[in-house]
Amino acid sequence: MSKGTRERAQAKRVVQEQLARERRRTVTLWTTIGVVAVLVIAGLIGWGVAAGQQNDAGGKLTVPPSAVDDGTAFARGSGPVTIDIYEDFMCPACGQFESSSGATLTQLVDANKVTVRYHPIAILDRYSSTRYSTRSAGAAAAAAAGGKFYEYHEVLFANRPEEGSAGLDNARLIELGRSVGLTDRAFADAINAKTYTAWATKVTDTASSRGVTATPTVLVAGKKLDAPSPGALTAAVEAAGA
Amino acid sequence: MRIWVSTVARLGLAAVWLVAGGLKVGDLAASGRAVNAYQLFPYEVAKVIGAAQPFLEIALGLLLLAGFAVRLTAGISAALLVVFIAGIVSAWARGLQIDCGCFSTGGELGAGADPAYGWDLARDAGFLLLAGVLLWRPRTRYSIDGILMGDEQ
Repeated sequence: MSKGTRERAQAKRVVQEQLARERRRTVTLWTTIGVVAVLVIAGLIGWGVAAGQQNDAGGKLTVPPSAVDDGTAFARGSGPVTIDIYEDFMCPACGQFESSSGATLTQLVDANKVTVRYHPIAILDRYSSTRYSTRSAGAAAAAAAGGKFYEYHEVLFANRPEEGSAGLDNARLIELGRSVGLTDRAFADAINAKTYTAWATKVTDTASSRGVTATPTVLVAGKKLDAPSPGALTAAVEAAGA
Repeated sequence: MRIWVSTVARLGLAAVWLVAGGLKVGDLAASGRAVNAYQLFPYEVAKVIGAAQPFLEIALGLLLLAGFAVRLTAGISAALLVVFIAGIVSAWARGLQIDCGCFSTGGELGAGADPAYGWDLARDAGFLLLAGVLLWRPRTRYSIDGILMGDEQ
């Protein structure tokens, strides 16, 4: 092979390498733009979908007439100190709280020392296959519309399904209502028609915006109890001046 | 051999994002609450992050699955994982009782359950390692990158 041929071959290779580098640069540039575009669009889709869902829920919102605290809670008693209780009807710790402190709360209400505001929130939907948290909160709203929130609230905790189960079905929710005197059609219809589903979402949303991240969350006169118990409740109510 | 290690890392990381996003995308409101539970953002901001995040995760998963711009998507994955790890560390340091919401719409921890921060961190560190492998050696088999670059194999 002559010297000239070798040089020509080498020059050709240099040019080819340059072209290949050029090509890689172009590909990298456009794929980068592509990735950024895909991610931005994906994020915007999420934002849009969530906003749409929230609007839908807002459109269907039915607030039970007896609800207090901006339509997100049900009051029991009329004493001077407010106790706020955020609970989920599927939450085991809420069930324990109800059985340990229920009597104390009743005493405080009967002594006209406190007003208890129950906020039935739905944060444990992922623990049942039927979104029981949302359905039971909606059923409790229907019970409130029928004037029997507290009675129904008690019977729901007495029949609390375990986490990871299917939860109670609508027929059972209606049957439990009947057991506390909710015998009219309106109660059953509200459960079957999911009348208060959007409301349950609103209550949950409101609680979250207030920094409620666990259930049960118990506040006495706006102050959160670290470990809700009958003793802690009584002490906090005393401290709040009742 | 190395190319296969990277290929496995790429598909593994793709699966991580697809599963993480897929489990959250069904309940965007809950995803927003999970972000809010970290108490790092105002609620309105947390809701937007919670809504966008599952879609971003799925998009990243699909890009990695296709092998498109692997070094870049691995870099973005690593950055996101670092943010998540920082979030978990901060929740742990502040003693918050939350579920990390990594593979669920989590957030609030019910049931008197203990948070599993250590385990969550170890897992995220493992995913970060996958992203690291890809950042270091982004070339993989069965990838769009390979086709576009006209790989010499």
